[in-house]
Amino acid sequence: MIRFVKISFIVIAALLSQVTLFPGYLRDPFQPNLLIILVVYLVLRSTTRFGGPAAFSLGLLQDCFSGLYLGLNGFSFLCVYLLLDKISDRLYTNSRYLIILAVFLATIVSGMLNLLLLVIFSAANGIYTTLLPALLPQALVNALIASLIFSFPVFGVVEEGR
Amino acid sequence: MRDLYSKYKVYLFTGVFLLVALIFYSLNLKNKEHANPLERGVMNFMTPVSRIVAAGNSLVTGIWSDYLNLVNVRRENKELRQSVTVLNSRMLENREALIANERLKKLLELKSSLQIPSLAVAVIGEDGSPWFKTLVIDRGEADGLAEGMPVVTVSGIVGRLVKVAANSSRVLLLTDHASGVAAVVQRSRARGVVKGKGGGLCSLEFALRDEDVKVGDTVITSGIGTVFPKGLPIGEVTMVKKGAYGIFQTVELRPAVTIAKLEEVLVLLQQRHD
Repeated sequence: MIRFVKISFIVIAALLSQVTLFPGYLRDPFQPNLLIILVVYLVLRSTTRFGGPAAFSLGLLQDCFSGLYLGLNGFSFLCVYLLLDKISDRLYTNSRYLIILAVFLATIVSGMLNLLLLVIFSAANGIYTTLLPALLPQALVNALIASLIFSFPVFGVVEEGR
Repeated sequence: MRDLYSKYKVYLFTGVFLLVALIFYSLNLKNKEHANPLERGVMNFMTPVSRIVAAGNSLVTGIWSDYLNLVNVRRENKELRQSVTVLNSRMLENREALIANERLKKLLELKSSLQIPSLAVAVIGEDGSPWFKTLVIDRGEADGLAEGMPVVTVSGIVGRLVKVAANSSRVLLLTDHASGVAAVVQRSRARGVVKGKGGGLCSLEFALRDEDVKVGDTVITSGIGTVFPKGLPIGEVTMVKKGAYGIFQTVELRPAVTIAKLEEVLVLLQQRHD
């Protein structure tokens, strides 16, 4: 129960920072996406059995405050989770550098999946002109934030059982 | 006689002395404003001594008061720093209140100038992704808001409401790729649809190649589509490109509203009639 409260608190704090705090101080492509960092944490550092549903829920939560299409980030976060989960057994998840690289790649993959889904299913023509230039800066910012977050002992340790 | 003198000698001398003193005093009454030689002599002698003593005294007093000041100066400095901080924050608050007052006054003027009932709302958040352009406002269904309602400011239109919750809503900004507003160029009445381009810009789509559109033209809402009332400013033309072929021209707009600086907006309480 305490674990659930802790996780909820972290998710809410991340979401609030993303929606209300960062836009006030950081310019557009340089605002980090904390939720995707949480997804990477779920795959590589956490032992929860509900990682998949949790990643999907985080995506839906992101969709509630971003764009018009509920399920867009839900789908892409889940894909990122499954992809990383598939290869995580072969990765040295204790390494901080690997986590940073994973966050960078997860952001890129998630953004590309968003673009693919938007181009196929939505009427947002020309969104690639906004999405593609913003993707690399956001991936770099996410990697930077991940490097800071995973330097904290609480997040830096792989949970037992993984 | 000698015995008598010896007996009263003290009294006699005392009397004489008193008399001399009295005479001396009475003689000096006339020259009360001028120093006599005695006074001058004494003063001349005493001046350098007085100076030295006074300097010594002031030195001692100075050291003492400096010491006392030093004892208090830390506490006093701390108090002063605290009051400077308090005063600075008050000054900032006042300035902020003044700016907010100006902004709200303009919003109120707009509200009273519009024929449609409206509701002033505060912006409480922005989109979580850099490729979508939406805002979160602090009013929702409970305040009579509904999807599709236009959102405006003094400078022009901001967007329209999407995803209305009980106590908050999201505004699809004019600059989002999914946004489209029926528009007309104010000068030449050329028609088109303003679409978001991301990155704080828009484009006027479907403006015929032969239509007269120039850089600097103001683009306003045409009223077609029933979302936005007619005549609200959308933006200013920043680029016009006519290709060698094709039936439309490429027109780029800069929105009239500075979206990055929005704090309060006005929602027009009109229902869309689809």
